[in-house]
Amino acid sequence: MTLPSERWLPRLFLILLVAVLALAGWQWRQGAPLSANLMELVPGTAPDALELKAEQRMQEPLNREMLVLVGHAERQQAVAMAQQLGERWQASGLFEKVQWNLQADLPALRSQLLQGRLAMLSAADRQQLIEQPAAFIQQRVQALFDPFTGFSLVPSQDDWLGLTGRIQNSQPQRGAVQLDIGSGALVADADGKSWVLLRARTTGNAFDMNLPLQVAELLRQSREQASQADVQLLAASGLLYAANGQQQATREITWVGGGATLGILLLLLLAFRRLRVLLAFVPVLVGMLFGAVACVALFGHMHVMTLVLGSSLIGVAVDYPLHYLSKSWSLKPWHSWPALRLTLPGLSLSLATSCIGYLALAWTPFPALTQIAVFSAAGLLGAYLSAVCLLPALLKGADLRPAQWPLRVAQCLLQLRAALLRRVPSPVLLALLAVFCAAGLWQLSSKNDIRQWVGAPPQLLNEAQAIARITGYQPTSQFFLVRAADQQQLLERQHALGERLGQLVKQGKLQGYLALNQLVNLPSDQQQLREALTRLPQFWQPLLDLGVPASALQAELGRLQALPVQDIDAALKGPLAEPYRTLWLGAGPEGVAAMVSLQGLNDAGLLRAQAQDLPGVQLVDRLGELNKVFAATQVSAAELKLASCVLIVLLLILPFGLGGALRIVALPLLAALCSLASLGWLGQPLTLFSLFGLLLVTAISVDYAILMREQVGGAAVSLLGTLLAALTTWLSFGLLAISSTPAVSNFGLSVSLGLAFSFMLAPWAGKQPHPASVAEPSPC
Amino acid sequence: MSWFKFLPLARAALSGMALLGFSSLAQAFDLQQLSEQLAKPEVIHGNFIQEKHLRALPQPLTSKGTFVLAKNHGLLWLLKTPLQQDYRITGQGIARRDANGWQMLPGKSAGAEQNRLFLAVLQGDSSGLQRDFELQLAGDAQDWKLTLTPRSLLLKQVFTQINIDGGALVQRIELLETQGDSTLLQMRDSTSSQPLSAAEQHDFAQ
Repeated sequence: MTLPSERWLPRLFLILLVAVLALAGWQWRQGAPLSANLMELVPGTAPDALELKAEQRMQEPLNREMLVLVGHAERQQAVAMAQQLGERWQASGLFEKVQWNLQADLPALRSQLLQGRLAMLSAADRQQLIEQPAAFIQQRVQALFDPFTGFSLVPSQDDWLGLTGRIQNSQPQRGAVQLDIGSGALVADADGKSWVLLRARTTGNAFDMNLPLQVAELLRQSREQASQADVQLLAASGLLYAANGQQQATREITWVGGGATLGILLLLLLAFRRLRVLLAFVPVLVGMLFGAVACVALFGHMHVMTLVLGSSLIGVAVDYPLHYLSKSWSLKPWHSWPALRLTLPGLSLSLATSCIGYLALAWTPFPALTQIAVFSAAGLLGAYLSAVCLLPALLKGADLRPAQWPLRVAQCLLQLRAALLRRVPSPVLLALLAVFCAAGLWQLSSKNDIRQWVGAPPQLLNEAQAIARITGYQPTSQFFLVRAADQQQLLERQHALGERLGQLVKQGKLQGYLALNQLVNLPSDQQQLREALTRLPQFWQPLLDLGVPASALQAELGRLQALPVQDIDAALKGPLAEPYRTLWLGAGPEGVAAMVSLQGLNDAGLLRAQAQDLPGVQLVDRLGELNKVFAATQVSAAELKLASCVLIVLLLILPFGLGGALRIVALPLLAALCSLASLGWLGQPLTLFSLFGLLLVTAISVDYAILMREQVGGAAVSLLGTLLAALTTWLSFGLLAISSTPAVSNFGLSVSLGLAFSFMLAPWAGKQPHPASVAEPSPC
Repeated sequence: MSWFKFLPLARAALSGMALLGFSSLAQAFDLQQLSEQLAKPEVIHGNFIQEKHLRALPQPLTSKGTFVLAKNHGLLWLLKTPLQQDYRITGQGIARRDANGWQMLPGKSAGAEQNRLFLAVLQGDSSGLQRDFELQLAGDAQDWKLTLTPRSLLLKQVFTQINIDGGALVQRIELLETQGDSTLLQMRDSTSSQPLSAAEQHDFAQ
């Protein structure tokens, strides 16, 4: 009964298994090589290094900073709580910097203001000094007497002309946050409460696996502590999204993986009524192991999303043992090795077609899908090998006495189909199906958005929005990238852009923007100001009248004229430059570059229009670009699908001939079309992910058509085998539909639909004359 | 980092507060009594002399004018010499009068902070002051001296001390800046017997 090869195959496989296990152990030596970085999953669209650098610079704070508002009706209570929490956070060791009040370095500020008197003076003040020097002096005299606004950080005798005070007052004021002079806390008043700003910067970023969870836990405890004092906390951070994503992924892996496993084991027990048949789960475990090892070997780590989607592999991997286990309904007595021999060609074909389907996903520009494809293809190979080499040995001597009722169900289904076909012939059914599809497709709409990847809970979004409203900080993900040959040209280009943005601000369409030219003047403007100063002595008599010594004024003029022209690097040194520092990208081989960040506008079209006809100015809109890539990928996904079908047809010509191969591939395609139509009928949008799901289902359901066409053990047994395979696959993919990540749930829904239609259409695969066909049992 | 923009406000608030102090300070020994005493008069009219002592100038910058402090409205500060300029401080913020009427000073209208301090004094609320300053009171109801020393590091970098002297009403406010400059405000001929004139009511109403 057992061939020699069937004696050494299990041993060979065990050696391979031990080797793979060892490799896995080595890969996991420093903990789980898992990643949760969402940006790793989406296509890289940044064409050049500078743009990439700019993007990273803009994203960095999102992934490392946490912003919390501590709110209470009594300002003092809010400040006290912010201080307590700040100290607690500092002590937690999670943060490199925790800030709830400003430790102002006034000497550094004074020195920056004095050094920057020519470089930082605003355009309006500069213009007045140059064009109306008399009025300029008059205002200065007035300011010296003003008891309410005459105060400047720099004492008058160091700045008789009052340039530093003007620079102070012209700094862009952002947001509704005010300084509480007593405590140094930053406070915003809204909704009848005082909100104290607490900022923290973590030591690692959101993509360290443990950090987000630790930060989220610390926040949870802080909320508890605050609520005892009746203080409310609002928090926003990329870390919280990461933590939420991780918790959600863990939950879903448990539900999908656990649910599928339980369901499949129960199904096996119900159908075969032997505990030993649970060994059929061995290929599933081996498949998971192979998939994980291959993924880490190729990519260095595995993404949690791969795990969530990959957990659906359980249902596909269990199909291999089911192929020959289901033969126990017709093969009596059933022996493992002969049953395998009978089904081996079908098994191998099934592996080939499924792999083609999965690997087709790898050619999309989505790293996420490449990972899933590699995970699944390697997993299927592992499952196949263990089903072919190991499992028959484990099941040797097993006495399978399957329950008869599933077979009767299958037979009844076949009879129903026959009865239906007697009344309505296949061509008519096909026509009806065509009408169903046409009407469904008519209602199908397409929708693609990066936000489908993120299942952000409403509470996080609400808090982020509340913070934006209260503080007035509404940073946008879009920004401008400005390039130029040198700093003078760069500042000129930013100035040109700034004039347009200023218009938008005036119209109320944009809240504000931040650009380097707000911090430092053009070198030529600094020079012009220096020249204008030489004429000032003709106008400064009112200052002399106050008693300011002429010698002091002359000395100040001398110092001002000796100030060197400040470049961007010098201007960025002082404390006032803090918000500007991230904007400067520095000099590279092709010149210099800087960013202009935006507040409170998301209309990419309007922003893009601002960059028009401005050389060197470019709007960077990563989300918008990604959404475009999504839409473009839909087309290429459809092409891939067709290409994989052609490949499968070529593969199937050998065993089934051209006619049979076409028929086998046409059925899954028709099933896919029906699923699309169903999405239309259900009012669900077609997304990139539903398309990927259908791409996959085509590959899987080719298997069903092959099973039905081969009819090993008769039509009813084959239909039962197909039913079992479809059920197990559906158990794992269908559970994905419960995911709270729209992308994953969409994927699950379309695979479920595809599987249902594939099963229904499979009997139309026709009958292949088979050398080892076994007499059909009597009908029910 | 625009926090420093608030420093002038703080200064404005403090000087304003100190001025208002003379409506809301009057007895001796006890801060509570002083607050109650100074909160009594409805309206105070008077003249002021402001001396700005700058380290580099041998002579102080001296300006003169009149003021009106109304318990339920705020403060009018009318500078007469050497130049003319009117200021008004109310719960809404600080305003300056130009040819077109009262203009709220930008960025300050929204300043809840200085208004808070300000109103704390308007209402004779010394606890509001005690948060940001150490308060020391010496003397008796007829001749007292209140010393404010900033508590926070931030304020300490700006002021070393604020001294307020008075009798029945506030007479003298001295602001000592950390940098060495100082401002002296002297209130003269203050009287609480005169109600708000129609013009003054109009000024507060706008």
